[in-house]
Amino acid sequence: MGPGDLERMLSRLPEEKAPELLSSLHTGEDAGVYLFADDLALVQTIDFFPPIVDDPYTFGQIAAANALSDIYAMNARPLTAMNVAAFPCDMDPVIPQEILLGGYDKVHEAGALVVGGHTIEDDEPKYGLSVLGSVKVSEMTTLRGAAPGDVLILTKAIGTGIMTTAAKAKLVSLAMDEVIASMCELNSGASAVISARGVHAMTDVTGFGLAGHLYEMARASGVAAELWAKEVPLFTEALVMVAQGMAARSSAGECIADRKVEVDTGGVDELLVQCMFDPQTSGGLLAAVPPEKADEILEALRSGPAPRASIVGTVTEADVPKVTIKHSRKG
Amino acid sequence: MKADIDCTGLKCPEPVLRTRAMLDTGPGPFTVLIDNDTARDNVRRFAQTAGCEVAVDETDGGFLVSIIPGASVKTASVSCPEARAGSVMLIASDEIGTGEHELGKTLMKMFLYTASESDSPPSTLIFMNSGVRLVTENEETAAHVKKLEEAGTEVLVCGTCLDYYGLKEILKAGAVSNMYDIQSAMVGATLLVSL
Repeated sequence: MGPGDLERMLSRLPEEKAPELLSSLHTGEDAGVYLFADDLALVQTIDFFPPIVDDPYTFGQIAAANALSDIYAMNARPLTAMNVAAFPCDMDPVIPQEILLGGYDKVHEAGALVVGGHTIEDDEPKYGLSVLGSVKVSEMTTLRGAAPGDVLILTKAIGTGIMTTAAKAKLVSLAMDEVIASMCELNSGASAVISARGVHAMTDVTGFGLAGHLYEMARASGVAAELWAKEVPLFTEALVMVAQGMAARSSAGECIADRKVEVDTGGVDELLVQCMFDPQTSGGLLAAVPPEKADEILEALRSGPAPRASIVGTVTEADVPKVTIKHSRKG
Repeated sequence: MKADIDCTGLKCPEPVLRTRAMLDTGPGPFTVLIDNDTARDNVRRFAQTAGCEVAVDETDGGFLVSIIPGASVKTASVSCPEARAGSVMLIASDEIGTGEHELGKTLMKMFLYTASESDSPPSTLIFMNSGVRLVTENEETAAHVKKLEEAGTEVLVCGTCLDYYGLKEILKAGAVSNMYDIQSAMVGATLLVSL
């Protein structure tokens, strides 16, 4: 679902208000945050989707890494997870076993526990998890806080939506290895590296694509942002696959029509713009960091948990929040 | 609304695959009926990449995409069986044969020069693995390949290999390609020569 669909769906839900509630349904945060002790909050999140890769164990790992990602985006620590699943009743029982095992192993890699779950019958399999984590409120990172002058760092390459569509069409096979490895990778290491060195705002890149999530950050922080398309790391063949008609459903049209995202008139390649909106599964973290910390953070990410981390843009002042996609840093 | 291909209710990548299947039959102009923005853009981009002229009209609740297959197809990513009838040469190394490297490299340079001067050049050249050095780092061989390309030889260069060796930025001849197109070029070849 696009941001607009979601807004419409939520529009009639009354806003929850409680002194303990630190998050809001309407600010674009994926996780709920509930204060339960002096400086300690619970972070709760859920995500599930149909298989995007053939191997069931790998799918389980990806679904879990993706669900855990919201926790890491807030610099929280995952504690427990519950499986959410739907399987056809005539499915070979080995497949659900493998999916659940993949999820279990990934949750354990994250240092959390699988404590239960719920399964229903459905023709199309679906799997994901609800994750509970905790965070010190003083250390929590959110969409809010990005300041003009901040440098935008992205920790993983972009293009999982395009590449999984191309894989369905059997146009790519070898090139998928890199994509699958990236989707299986937890955002824990990158989150720790960034948070330890100082960060103003952070989110994980998922369904709205890089440009869509950057807009959410700009809106929550009351700033504007420049996205430098050519600097954004892409998976091998992602751009070629957009030219082959393999884009996944994205919020590009809606964001551009609503002028949330403007594409610089300097002639940014249409195919590259599409990549900026490609919906990501288990995408990387997008962080707005103070300029004086940017090089140090980038170096620590690249030599450590996120070899493809890159500086992809900057935060600017604005009366109206928006994202401008430019070809590169120079325009 | 009547269309040659009705893709209403179909999710990506299915509309593109049906358009591709239609293009593979070597058709005249045809239309595709589509009911969502993503498929519209995908079919348009695919057809444009395949060298077609494309027009999109809005219809009741959807889009009619009109496609005029192009006469000259210059992009790498096209499944056009006719274009590959003829000899396809797979060059998966920067030298010919095993033995002294210096000799192997010289032989490769001589081969590409001879091919570029030949009256019956290969219809397709595919460069993979260290073969991609011949169209990037090695300016002499790249010039021979460029000459072949200008004379009508299709030159496919493995994108994964260019990335691996970090040579994509200095590609001097040919088009960056993918395994699907390379595979179809090899399977569709009347004569496949592996060097």
